[in-house]
Amino acid sequence: MAVSVKTRNWLLFIATVVVVFLLGMLASSIMDRKAESRFAYQPQVDIGEGEPRNEVWGENFPRQYQSYLRTADTAFASYQGGGNLRDMLEEDPRLVVLWAGYGFSKDYNQGRGHYYAIEDLHNTLRTGAPTGPGTGPMPSTCWTCKSPDVPRLMNEIGIAEFYEGKWADKGPEVVNYIGCADCHDAKTMSLRISRPALVEAFESMGKDINQATHQEMRSLVCAQCHVEYYFNKNLPGKEGTPYLVFPWKNGHSAEDMEKYYDDIAFSDWTHPISKARMLKAQHPGYEVYMTGVHAKRGVSCADCHMPYRTEGGQKFTDHHIQSPLNNVANSCQVCHREETQDLVSDVYERQKKFKSNLLALEDLLVRAHIEAGKAWELGATDEQMDAILTDIRHAQWRWDYTAASHGGSFHSPVESGRVVGTGINIAQEARIKLTRLLAELGWGQPVPYPDISTKEKAQAFVGLDIAKLEAEKEEFKKNIVPQWLEEARKREASQTVKKVSLNQP
Amino acid sequence: MSLLKKLIPPQNWQVPVVILCGAIFGLGFFILRLSNAASYLGDDPRACINCHVMTPQYITWEHSSHREVATCNDCHVPQDNVVNKYYFKAKDGLYHATIFTLRLEPQAIKMKPASIQAVQNNCIRCHFPQVTDAKMAGWVDNHLANRTERTCWECHRHTPHGRVRSLSATGFQIEPLPVREQQHIFVPEWLEKAIKENSQP
Repeated sequence: MAVSVKTRNWLLFIATVVVVFLLGMLASSIMDRKAESRFAYQPQVDIGEGEPRNEVWGENFPRQYQSYLRTADTAFASYQGGGNLRDMLEEDPRLVVLWAGYGFSKDYNQGRGHYYAIEDLHNTLRTGAPTGPGTGPMPSTCWTCKSPDVPRLMNEIGIAEFYEGKWADKGPEVVNYIGCADCHDAKTMSLRISRPALVEAFESMGKDINQATHQEMRSLVCAQCHVEYYFNKNLPGKEGTPYLVFPWKNGHSAEDMEKYYDDIAFSDWTHPISKARMLKAQHPGYEVYMTGVHAKRGVSCADCHMPYRTEGGQKFTDHHIQSPLNNVANSCQVCHREETQDLVSDVYERQKKFKSNLLALEDLLVRAHIEAGKAWELGATDEQMDAILTDIRHAQWRWDYTAASHGGSFHSPVESGRVVGTGINIAQEARIKLTRLLAELGWGQPVPYPDISTKEKAQAFVGLDIAKLEAEKEEFKKNIVPQWLEEARKREASQTVKKVSLNQP
Repeated sequence: MSLLKKLIPPQNWQVPVVILCGAIFGLGFFILRLSNAASYLGDDPRACINCHVMTPQYITWEHSSHREVATCNDCHVPQDNVVNKYYFKAKDGLYHATIFTLRLEPQAIKMKPASIQAVQNNCIRCHFPQVTDAKMAGWVDNHLANRTERTCWECHRHTPHGRVRSLSATGFQIEPLPVREQQHIFVPEWLEKAIKENSQP
C-alpha cells in the first residue's frame, strides 16, 4: 500500500463523516415524513373533550357532518313516522282526552330530525313560556337528551346539579342540537356513553355497560334517549331533584316496568276526569326493538337508521339518521333482495294491522275515562273506584308503551301486538266494572260521549285555553329565546378552537 | 486475516475509533426505532401505514369485508413458506422504503408483476373451492381459460379496495382504529367519577 498512515487515517475520518452524515440525513428524513403523515389526513382542528359545537367536529369529519346536517330535511313522511312535522293531536284528537291534565294534551308533534332538537323544544307548548330563570312548568331534566351541551354541563357542575332547577335556568347553556359529542369520544371517535341514566340503568340490572360489544354500542348510544324513563324526585340524598331514571330494574317488558312503577307507587300525573293515577310511557323504542327479530339477529339501530354509504373511494356511516323507508337501498336491501315497494308494503302492513288494535284500545280508554268521570259525578267512593282506576292506569300504560315506541309495530310486531292485546283486555275489564258500578249508582244507560272530533273541541272539552298558551309562547319566543341564544353566542365566541396545521406553530 | 488486521487501527487510534463506531451503530439503532422497524416483522396492517402513502389502501380495506379475514400480508405477501414470505417482504419493503425516502412514489400506486403473482396466488389460496368448481367447467365456456389466464380482479374490481382509491377520494379520512381494537371503556372517566360521587348520598 502506497498510502501513508496519515493519509489513511484522514480517509477513514472522512468516510466516517460521510456515513454518519448520511445516516443523520436518513433519520431526519424519516422524522420529516413521520410528521407529514401525522398531518396528511388529519384534523383541521383540535377537538377538546366536551366540545359541544357540531360544526367544530364537522371541520374534521365533513362527510359525517354534512350527512348529519341532512337531518334537517323534513320532506319524508311514512305511514306513521318520517322527518315531517305532524300534529298528532290534530290527526287523532282522542289523545287529548287520554292525556288530559298532562303536557301532551297541549301540544304533541311527530318529532322532526335531530337537527331540530333544541328548536322544537323551544317551540312546544309543553315547555310553557318561562319569563326568566326559575319560571316555567318544566324542570331542567327536560334538556337531558337534547344537546351535547348536557354532558359538558354535567362534567362542569355535576349530574344532580344539572337536573336541579327549572328548564329555563339552563336555557342559555343548552343551545347546540343533538350531535357528535353525544355519541363519540373526542380523541378516538369511538362510540361512548355520555348520559348517566343509561349507565345507572345497567348498574340497576347488575350489568356493566363497558362489557358491551361494538355492535351493541351501535344501538346503546341511541338507547341513551330512545327509551322509557321517569323523573325520580325521591332518590335518597337528592330529594326534590327530578333525577332521570330508566325503570329497567325488573326488566324491559311492559309488565316489568309497570310492576316497577306500581312498587314505588309512582305516577306521572292524575287524570282530571277519571282521577286515575296515570303513567306516561315516553318512547320505549330500544326496549321494544330488543324483543324483535332484527335485534335477535344482531342488527343494530345504526345498521338501518344510519346505513353505510359510499362516496368516491370512501365508505362511511351515513349520519343522516332517518326512517330506513326513505333509504331502502342502503338499509333493508343490503340483506333483503326484494323490491323496494314490496319491502315498504311489508312494513306498512304490519303497522296498519297493529294500529287497528291500538285504535280499538284507545277508544276503550277514552270511554273508560269518561265513564269513570260519570261514576264520580254520581257519587262513587274511593273504594268502589280503586280497582277500576288501577285497570285504567295499566291499560293506558300498555297502550302508551306500544304507541310511544314509534317504530315498535315494525321493530317487534308480535310483542307490540301482545302488549296491546293485554291492554284491550284490561280496559274491557275496567269498563265491565264501570258498567256494574254505574248500574249500582242508578245509571242504566250508555254514558254520553262528548264531541271530540277535532283537536280544538277535544282541548276545549278538557278545559285547555290554547289561545292563551300560544300567546304566552309567542312572548317567550320573542323575548327569552333570543336572549338565551345571544348569551350562548357570546360564551362560545370566547372558546377558541385550536387549529391543527403544519404551517402554524 | 490480513484485511482484518488492516482494519484494526493502531493502538493510539483505537479509543476514538471505537467511540465513532459506537456512534454509527447508535445512530443505526436510533433509525431502526424511529422508523418503527420492528413492526415490519409482524402482520399488523397498521405497519403498512407507518408512512402515509398506503392510507387510502388501508382505509378502503378497513371498510371492506376482507377486514375480518385477511390482513395486508395475507394477500400481498406469498404465504407458501416462511422463507419466501420474509424474502418477498424484505424485497418489497426495502424497495418501498427506498422509493419513499427518495420521494419517487407515484400518484397512482400499481402492483408490479411479482406482486400480481403473489396476490393472485393468495386469492386462490383462500377461495380454492370457488375457483375450481368442477361443475362450472362443464357448462361455462372458457371456464378453465378464464380462471387460469386472468386475474380475479379483472372482474372483482371492487375487492377489497374499491375502484376509487386515490388520495383525493379518500382524503379527509383519519386513519381509523381497527374495530377489534376499539376501546372498551364506553363511559368516559369524568362521567364514571361523577356517577360514583353522585351515588353516595
